[in-house]
Amino acid sequence: MQKDLEKEFVQQLEENQNIVHKICRLYTNDADSHNDLFQEVTIQLWRAYPKFRGDSKFSTWMYRVALNTAITLYRKKKRRVDTASYEQIEFKATEQDYDDETNEQLTLLYSAVKQLNDIEKALVFLYLENKNYKEISKTLGISEVNARVKMNRVKTKLTNIINP
Amino acid sequence: MDQLDILKKEWDTQKAYPSYSKEQLKSMLALKSTSIVKWLLIIAIIEFVVLTAINFLPGMSKYHGESIRIMGEVFYYGSYIVHYIVIAYFIFLFYSNYKRIQATQPTRSLMKNILRTRKTMKWYIWYNLAYIFILGIAVSIVMLFKDPKMIEMMQSETVANHQVMFYTIYILFTILVFGVMLSILYGIYSLIYGILLRRLRFNYEELKRMEV
Repeated sequence: MQKDLEKEFVQQLEENQNIVHKICRLYTNDADSHNDLFQEVTIQLWRAYPKFRGDSKFSTWMYRVALNTAITLYRKKKRRVDTASYEQIEFKATEQDYDDETNEQLTLLYSAVKQLNDIEKALVFLYLENKNYKEISKTLGISEVNARVKMNRVKTKLTNIINP
Repeated sequence: MDQLDILKKEWDTQKAYPSYSKEQLKSMLALKSTSIVKWLLIIAIIEFVVLTAINFLPGMSKYHGESIRIMGEVFYYGSYIVHYIVIAYFIFLFYSNYKRIQATQPTRSLMKNILRTRKTMKWYIWYNLAYIFILGIAVSIVMLFKDPKMIEMMQSETVANHQVMFYTIYILFTILVFGVMLSILYGIYSLIYGILLRRLRFNYEELKRMEV
């Protein structure tokens, strides 16, 4: 029974792991922390999985647990790693997949979003992931109106960061 | 279309992460969590063990016997019974708090529940510090009148003429010693929780600000 559950979980996680990676990339600055956060998210997901009843999509459920882990539960470890090296490694790996211009824009986007605070990052992340305000408000536990108002402010803030 | 929407197209097309294999993911399931909740639980257990263990330290039994003699059985055992009833209540609160913390709830409720746990722990510490403080002072005062060594000293020539001053200095000194001891303890606790929950508190305030 447990084995089946584990197999099913790992299968779903493997298919949807990109979501967790994107969150890790937004909330951490080096490869070690990225892996740490990914592991913690995985543990939290697995712990909560028995109660996942499939009344929402696995990915939707995952957003909530992964963001909660990144914003609330995860303890950043102190590391003495050059943060710049991480971005370089990441983008070296992606070079084959993107042309230079796209790559540059994505780098720009990530570095801009990284300047926001944890909550703003979550808002932008969910927005970029095509979530509507109802879902955003439900995930964060705030009202829809407030999510919308805040999102508009964050958009302005981001524009100012990207085009100073 | 604003800047973010233009960039959103890039976001949608990205997929290049070093992805984990099924085996790697599976091995992660066996790893231990290092979440804040786990730390809070560890600290709660340490608090409980340390604060309870103080009573069972070797050498304390001699102190207990003497305390019973000086304070009387009713006061001594009475304070213990009340103390353990309160502690049992705290354990119940801790348990229900931890059950409420789930990663699947909305972020704000999750934070609220963690901070509520923190608040219970704070009250637990305050209660213990107050208990030690009040009991310590009460015992010191009772000792003044009931401890044969004290009575003997009070009757000695040097002290007998300055009794009021002696009482005042004695009580003030006791309050000062306990005060300093407990402030240091409280300082240590605040520091631990401060470091542990700084980020969470900041994020919670941010969410709260949005609701105003």
